[in-house]
Amino acid sequence: MNRNNFLLHLALAIVLILIAAFAGQLSRWRKQWKSHVRIMPVAEKRRASTAEEIALAEGRSTRAEVLVKFKSSVSSETIEKIAERLHDRIEDRIENDPGLEAIDDLDDADAAEIVAQYSSLPEVEYAEPNYEISLDTTSYALVRPSDPRFEDQWALSNSGQRGGKEGADISATRAWGTTTGSDKVVVAVLDSGVDYTHEDLAPNMWTRPANLTPYHDNELGTIEDENGFNAIDNSSDPMDENGHGTHCAGIIGAEGSNDIGISGVNWKVRIMPLKFMNAGGFGTTKDAIEAINYVIDRKKAGVNVRIISASWGSTQRSRALEEIIRKAYENDILFVAASGNANTNNDRNPHYPSSYNVPNVISVAALDRNDQLASFSNYGPKSVAIAAPGVDILSTWLGNQYEEKSGTSMATPVIAGVAALIVAEHPRISVDELRQKLLASVDSLPQLKGKIATGGRINAAKAVE
Amino acid sequence: MSISKDDAVEKARKDLAQRLKVDAGAVKEQSVEEADFPDMALGAAEDGEMSGQMITRGWRIRLGANEQNYEYRADKNQVRLFKFKGKNYRI
Repeated sequence: MNRNNFLLHLALAIVLILIAAFAGQLSRWRKQWKSHVRIMPVAEKRRASTAEEIALAEGRSTRAEVLVKFKSSVSSETIEKIAERLHDRIEDRIENDPGLEAIDDLDDADAAEIVAQYSSLPEVEYAEPNYEISLDTTSYALVRPSDPRFEDQWALSNSGQRGGKEGADISATRAWGTTTGSDKVVVAVLDSGVDYTHEDLAPNMWTRPANLTPYHDNELGTIEDENGFNAIDNSSDPMDENGHGTHCAGIIGAEGSNDIGISGVNWKVRIMPLKFMNAGGFGTTKDAIEAINYVIDRKKAGVNVRIISASWGSTQRSRALEEIIRKAYENDILFVAASGNANTNNDRNPHYPSSYNVPNVISVAALDRNDQLASFSNYGPKSVAIAAPGVDILSTWLGNQYEEKSGTSMATPVIAGVAALIVAEHPRISVDELRQKLLASVDSLPQLKGKIATGGRINAAKAVE
Repeated sequence: MSISKDDAVEKARKDLAQRLKVDAGAVKEQSVEEADFPDMALGAAEDGEMSGQMITRGWRIRLGANEQNYEYRADKNQVRLFKFKGKNYRI
């Protein structure tokens, strides 16, 4: 090799090294940016824009856009006709989700108006703004509660304690920088009842407002439901005799930062205790239906009960149970349900109520402290929606005690709790939007890909953005 | 009232003897072991029954009679017969 060739090769080698180093830095920057992204609707962004940006928008460089999911029975031709009639344009079809269309409004209307317009159509399952992911330069405050056993709550903040994986949690401390919940939001815990005297729960228990008439059912008569409802004996006392319902209630809303025990996903919330399972932890389909009927009645009477947490189930399908859950949907109530603990695929072997194809049902799988699907958890790439921590979960138990328990029973109230945080932050959110918001607020985990629909673990911080 | 392991085995033996219409002495205890069951109905829900989806510690009781094997499941709250002629029973 002569001197000129040597210099040429040396220069080439230096260039290649520089390119590789730059690519590595780019990758690091991208990772840093990913940890600081937030989601906001296109329309919202436009409202917050400067005059110059608004002018740019008026030049149609960024159009208001919505995502519309049409019912499976609606043909492509009909969808096109609807879009044409509303003077809209189908911008994109999502191939792997038939009926899901990205739609541009040619009149440049506000996204909220377009969402409302499509949501009112009988052909439409749901419509929502097309959220745009943008860089956010704000820093996030991490809020830690004063509860003495918070360090054992890996689901809320996983520092790698007891062999766990650091960060394998729901980012609760970041979410609490935005909201710690609201006593205006009511979550129905449909279970074995709740020990409403527990010192870490009592301040967050729902009681019937003085101006609300007692519950009346034509068959059951009038029930003085000061503390909730017991569907087993149709009484007003939903005291837990098992512990399961008390555990689930604590996950949702043990009072936070009160120097006692643990913190719930919500520091402040109202838990409506409903009892349909006995001291053994089991109950009948009929009593579950009675309890859901009670929730719907109270919602109609003005109680802001937006979520039912259902940490129970079986493999037996009940059309009556499915219908009452659909009634709950019609009354804008989310139904969060355990996917089951048989380590089976719910797409093939359904588990109810989590497998009902009703728009308000969200089926929850369980994760361990290393972000792995729990060994017992059911899964289903179509029928199981989302995952949440569900192994060795510390929560409230009978007699002012605390216990660690495992099951999709424990993952379910995590999702119900995050749903309550969302409602606290967005009080007017509809049940469809609430469900979509939850599904869009996950941290993708490769090990869940092909196992559950979203392929991810709930991230409370994303959910409340 | 809380059920002990010995109580559970005794209830299971009596139940099986009645079902098979044999003397209690003809029912043999094959094994009793601690087990984690998938739910609060111990993975043996009856028709129309819903149960909490929490992993539940209990005992798996295996009995034999008439050259057949039978499985009971129990915890401090209950005793259940698992898949007896295709059905589950709470005792």
